Amino acid sequence: MFDIALLWEARGLILQGLWNTLWICFLGCLLALSLGLALAALRLANPRLFGYPVACYVEICRGTPLLILLFLLYYGGPSIGLRLDAEIAGVTGIGLYGAGYFAEIYRGGFKSIPKGQLEAARMLGISPWHTLTRVQIPQMARLIVPPGTNQLIILVKESALISIISVDDLTKNATTIVNQTFHVIEPYLAVALLYWLMIELVARGGYALEKRLADRQPRHVTQ
Amino acid sequence: MPMADTLSPPPTAKQKAIVEAHGISKQFGDLEVLTNIDFSLAPSEVVCVIGPSGSGKSTLLRCLAFLEPYDHGSVYINGKLLGYEDRSGKRVRTSEKRVDEVRAPVGMVFQHFHLWPHRTALENVTEALRLVNGLSRGDAEAEGMAMLEQVGLAERAGHFPESLSGGQKQRVAIARALAMRPRVMFFDEPTSALDPELVGEVLDVMKKLAADGMTMVIVTHEMGFAAKVADRVIFMDQGSVVESSPPATLFRHPKSERLQQFLNTWRERHID
Amino acid sequence: MFEILLNHYPVLLKGLTTTLVVSLSAIALGLVLGVLLAFGLTSQYHLVRWPCGLYRSFWRGTPILLQLLLVYYLLPEIGIEIAPISAAILALTLNTAAFQAEIFRSGISHIPAGQIEAARMAGISAWQTRRRIIMPQVFRLTLPPLTNEIITILKNSSLISVIAVTELMRVSEQIASRTFQPLETYLAAALLYLAVNLVLARISAYLERRMTGGLATE
Repeated sequence: MFDIALLWEARGLILQGLWNTLWICFLGCLLALSLGLALAALRLANPRLFGYPVACYVEICRGTPLLILLFLLYYGGPSIGLRLDAEIAGVTGIGLYGAGYFAEIYRGGFKSIPKGQLEAARMLGISPWHTLTRVQIPQMARLIVPPGTNQLIILVKESALISIISVDDLTKNATTIVNQTFHVIEPYLAVALLYWLMIELVARGGYALEKRLADRQPRHVTQ
Repeated sequence: MPMADTLSPPPTAKQKAIVEAHGISKQFGDLEVLTNIDFSLAPSEVVCVIGPSGSGKSTLLRCLAFLEPYDHGSVYINGKLLGYEDRSGKRVRTSEKRVDEVRAPVGMVFQHFHLWPHRTALENVTEALRLVNGLSRGDAEAEGMAMLEQVGLAERAGHFPESLSGGQKQRVAIARALAMRPRVMFFDEPTSALDPELVGEVLDVMKKLAADGMTMVIVTHEMGFAAKVADRVIFMDQGSVVESSPPATLFRHPKSERLQQFLNTWRERHID
Repeated sequence: MFEILLNHYPVLLKGLTTTLVVSLSAIALGLVLGVLLAFGLTSQYHLVRWPCGLYRSFWRGTPILLQLLLVYYLLPEIGIEIAPISAAILALTLNTAAFQAEIFRSGISHIPAGQIEAARMAGISAWQTRRRIIMPQVFRLTLPPLTNEIITILKNSSLISVIAVTELMRVSEQIASRTFQPLETYLAAALLYLAVNLVLARISAYLERRMTGGLATE
């Protein structure tokens, strides 16, 4: 009933889809992570100027579907002279969309550090940059890794939407195989398994990072 | 009564003041928390600031350290204006870097310690030595151990803050500030967050510092400590300095009604 | 953008209505299934826990678009002919049930064990304990994540446009291809989604404020 041979014959399409999904997700997540940090840092540095715009950006990302953003970039872009390849529109869309969520995650991390710790650093003459890199980020990291991992997983799953703007990703190629072979279960389940593997990998990676960060600061040291 | 009259001259008035403030005021929104305060601190002088909660004593200390920018007046550290500069007759805020430079002789200890939880006791002490003074790891650790020794915590060097008691945390915080070789130490209610049985060990460290000639400003509720250690005690109420005298005078012969009332309330609570 | 809203509001509203009907039906059906699954996940029997866990893993661990396509193409394959809109509701329900189950499971685990023991010692049956003691508290505890899930489903309902359900997204595509104004059209659609989700978030915040009393404490 479950036809493995069919999958073997379609391996070219599956591998192509896997490759496209992988690199688009990777670049999209990278963009989301860095743009999110920039947004959170702007908001922190000058709340009066950037607080409201960044908050609006976050709300827009949370309140509108990624699909609309992808359509805006891919179909709406040309009317303002922005012609993007479907793949690049995919990376941009995932990046812009994820940035809103990551900005909020970073903000939670920044806010979790008591202000007094920063004052203590200032009183010792430690520069704002060193305060950020040596006091704030090391403490934040532990806090933001779990929700950050979660968000990366969501982005990997949402990346399936790029198939709708005609990127030959895993989902699009699975549908192509379905239409060619008239078999539904095999291609979709195989591809589902591949997504699940990717997500499992991200989850394991996040968990390992969390553990490493926790080990670096043992909870109790006895001598 | 004019503010200047309530300020007795520092005991070693001939020496140049380390910290000097003229007519500083501070508002939070509509609330005036400091009103026209003058302050002067001579080398090796120990000043305790007392007063009811909300009297502005912590805000005064934070303004002297420019953790809160003061609105009016001026604060000088070693004769240098802190936080502001004159630019063609107009007063403007200086860069944060300049604030750091002027403030460098000041060490500060906070009510809630504010140790960095991801660093060991020793690393808390050596962090600024390495980042600001550029010491090598080895030199910084030698220096840091000497500082921990001074507060009696050398054997806890490898412990993270969360496995230390409140008193130990505060002693590490003192060592952290001392490591930068400050000329003056500010203490903002250093024992208020501690369990009563842990207050003594912190006060002992501070007494030793005072005996060694450290210049100190201490915002505190510990009247006994103030009476024994301070050269001068300042009583604040509602954002103003009400009285300022050597402890013997201030505690035995309070002039103002507000101080009498404050001391009576304190005695009722502490001496049965 | 506003021109599009003005000129095409009857179709846009119809699309929005379909979006809301599909999403809210899926949320409601998913709630029932999710609660049952949460009981399964917290069951003392391994044989009940295990299949529930597998279900949760599959539906939370794969893209919802893939799930939608699988349901849509698979049903006719096994001899079930249903309208696209029913397939859409079914897929979204099966998906949200897994997410809601996890939300409720986490909520149930936050109810102090002592409360359940007290109920059992008072002779209240296991089922009644769930219904009258555990779940009322769980609903209050889980209101914020539940709101997020509702918003997620509303956003994800845009995907059912790919199986030709004429909801808001599909209607926008049609308007865009007719007017040749994709940018303005999709911005208008984005605005409608945003408005609905902001209203939902407001309602949830209001409910949360009203229900703060009588919460379980650790």
